[in-house]
Amino acid sequence: MGGLSAALNISVGALQVDENALATSSNNVANVDTPGYSRQVANLVETAPITLGNITFGTGVGLQSVTSTRDSILDLRVNQETQQQGQLDAFIGAGQQIQSLFDQTSGAGLQGPLTAFFNSLSQLSANPSDTNTRQAVLTAAQNLATAFNQSSVNLSTLQGSTDQSVTQTVGQINTLTAQIAAVNTQISGTTGAGQNPGPLVDQRQLLINQLSNLVDVSEINAGNNSLTLTTSSGAPLVVGGQSFALSTQVNAATGQQDVFSQGTDITTKITSGQLAGQIQIRDQEIPALQNSLDTLAFNFANAVNTQNEAGFDLNGNAGGAIFVPPTAQASAAAGLTVAITNPALIAASQDGTTGDNANANALLALQNTNIVSGQTPLNYYSGIVFKIGNDVSSAQTSEQTGSAVLQQIQNLQGGVSGVSVNEEAANLIRFQSAYEASAEVSNAVNTLLQDTIGILGAA
Amino acid sequence: MSIRLDPDVLPNLLVALQQANQNETTASQQVATGRGVNQLSDNPAAEAELVANANQSSEDDQYLQNAGTLQAKFQVADSTLDDVVTALTRAISIGTEGANGTLNAGDRQAIASEVQGLITQTLGLANTTYQGTYIFAGTAVNTQPFVQNATTGAVTYAGNNGTTSVELSNGNSIGANLPGSQLFQNAAGSAFQSLQDLNTALLSGNESSIGTAVVEVQSALTQVSTNQVFYGNALNQISSTDSFLNQDQLNLSSQENTLVGIDPATAASNFSESQTAQQSLLDATAKVLGLPNLFNYLAP
Repeated sequence: MGGLSAALNISVGALQVDENALATSSNNVANVDTPGYSRQVANLVETAPITLGNITFGTGVGLQSVTSTRDSILDLRVNQETQQQGQLDAFIGAGQQIQSLFDQTSGAGLQGPLTAFFNSLSQLSANPSDTNTRQAVLTAAQNLATAFNQSSVNLSTLQGSTDQSVTQTVGQINTLTAQIAAVNTQISGTTGAGQNPGPLVDQRQLLINQLSNLVDVSEINAGNNSLTLTTSSGAPLVVGGQSFALSTQVNAATGQQDVFSQGTDITTKITSGQLAGQIQIRDQEIPALQNSLDTLAFNFANAVNTQNEAGFDLNGNAGGAIFVPPTAQASAAAGLTVAITNPALIAASQDGTTGDNANANALLALQNTNIVSGQTPLNYYSGIVFKIGNDVSSAQTSEQTGSAVLQQIQNLQGGVSGVSVNEEAANLIRFQSAYEASAEVSNAVNTLLQDTIGILGAA
Repeated sequence: MSIRLDPDVLPNLLVALQQANQNETTASQQVATGRGVNQLSDNPAAEAELVANANQSSEDDQYLQNAGTLQAKFQVADSTLDDVVTALTRAISIGTEGANGTLNAGDRQAIASEVQGLITQTLGLANTTYQGTYIFAGTAVNTQPFVQNATTGAVTYAGNNGTTSVELSNGNSIGANLPGSQLFQNAAGSAFQSLQDLNTALLSGNESSIGTAVVEVQSALTQVSTNQVFYGNALNQISSTDSFLNQDQLNLSSQENTLVGIDPATAASNFSESQTAQQSLLDATAKVLGLPNLFNYLAP
């Protein structure tokens, strides 16, 4: 139906639509800095036309929907990269603490005490019967044992604090999965009623992104805008409105907290996120290092003891052990102790005479003998130093590359979902003009109606 | 329609600022420490090599210290043997005089008593100690090596024939002692026996015996002098090893610098570059953030 009242209806309808479009822009501007917010678009449509006789009339504008603009593929890519970054960041953070324990440029680590021990033997070789020189050997042995102990204790402390971080991370994961499950339920509700789930999806995406920083997350769309989240090995985290908490439990063998999902130990199956980085440090990096230190301490102490036992001490008696013989390779570094306090017991002599230094020379020669896994003690140690530095350095390289990729994807994501203030200003002007125009139309129709009523009244 | 760019430039700027800040920290650390490598992950291979480098440098220090210890001991031994040579030379000289037929028994007795004195003096020299140990006792360093029988006056050796060697530098060892038996009781010429014989011959007054004894002393002197060369050579070797070790330390220090050091000029230029970069980034950030948007142009 045409006519004035139709025109009035159209303009009043347009006023309402423009108001809503203005409100959408206003909401976008308001959320310009809100984390996770995706810009919303008011989707205007022509309302259904009406045909009178042969003529089809438009009936004005309608607001079909307000939708959030997002690209779920980009969201997914951001989450994947975030998982990698989470893992690398956790690894690098702890790795930097480890490497500072062995930093050669600052004089940390075992090279100093190891060299000092052999130097004390070198000095003994030049003056084998001197008590002060012998005492220096004992002191150097003591310092070396302490350095081994300290390195091992420091690593254990770091392992312990990483273990605590694992428990904390699991707690954070559980908080996030519970929140995601709650949002999932709300999203299913809104979708059912035909509303815009955008803001809730924003919220969920933000939570999943935070979760991705902590653990590897695999997303399965469960339909009805509801998501199922599992770890990449398939352990359930969130299924629709239900979350599945991970738990930790002490592993009797290692003394560390293992991560369980629904009664299954998934510790070794966590592949990325902070949790994976922490587990990698706790269960691989530190134990491997401890094992290397133990190998070094065990073989070194045994070789020194064997050589000392081959000689004669200052009193002409057969030599004994300088270090308390380690019972096993495991924990040899942590338990390394000097067995003697009497400097006369160092067996410098090979033939029992006080001035002989042949056994001191033999002890000194251990420095250049392949007594630790086919390497000299120092070369073996230098291999340890290289490994730590290299592990951290590789992680840093991956982190830098990943960080650039993540930034790139985030830029793309921002291109899709980010609020542009200029764009919103333009929209505001546009909707404002449209609103003013519609208001003018209403005014004109009103005037016409008044005129018509006036004419009718005058008649 | 062109691709919509991320309207929010702040995250990118913040990342860039963070990077610039980190570069500046690294550069200032390089200037402060004089090193381009400040943690293991900066250059794992260089750090691993530095382990060997630091070890070698410290070993060299010890070698130099040992060389000093040996040098002092060898100098004492060398000068002691000088004194022995002087004593034996004196014995030859007065022994030759004693073989002269014009001398009477009293003269020879006087010479014999001087020889007796030389024996005592040589005995003292052969029992020289350095830092509390006997230097001519072989490896029995706490045993007085030469003992004189109070009745017969005969001198016996109580030390042993043990020798020791000490490493002067990697794989380069040096003999650290000569047993007294080799110096003073050598089969080719024994200092004590020959002096004793000279003393006996002088007291007996037999000119030919005196002559024979003088020849014996000469053989003994030859042995002492020949063996003394050992100490001279050792001192030379120590001195040349010292130069080698000092040079090696210079090389090691230069290698360390190559491995983890940084040229001060490079470090300074890195630092100023990083500062400039950060400064311009800050300028840019301030300008970008201060850019007006469309709202600024809307009528109030």
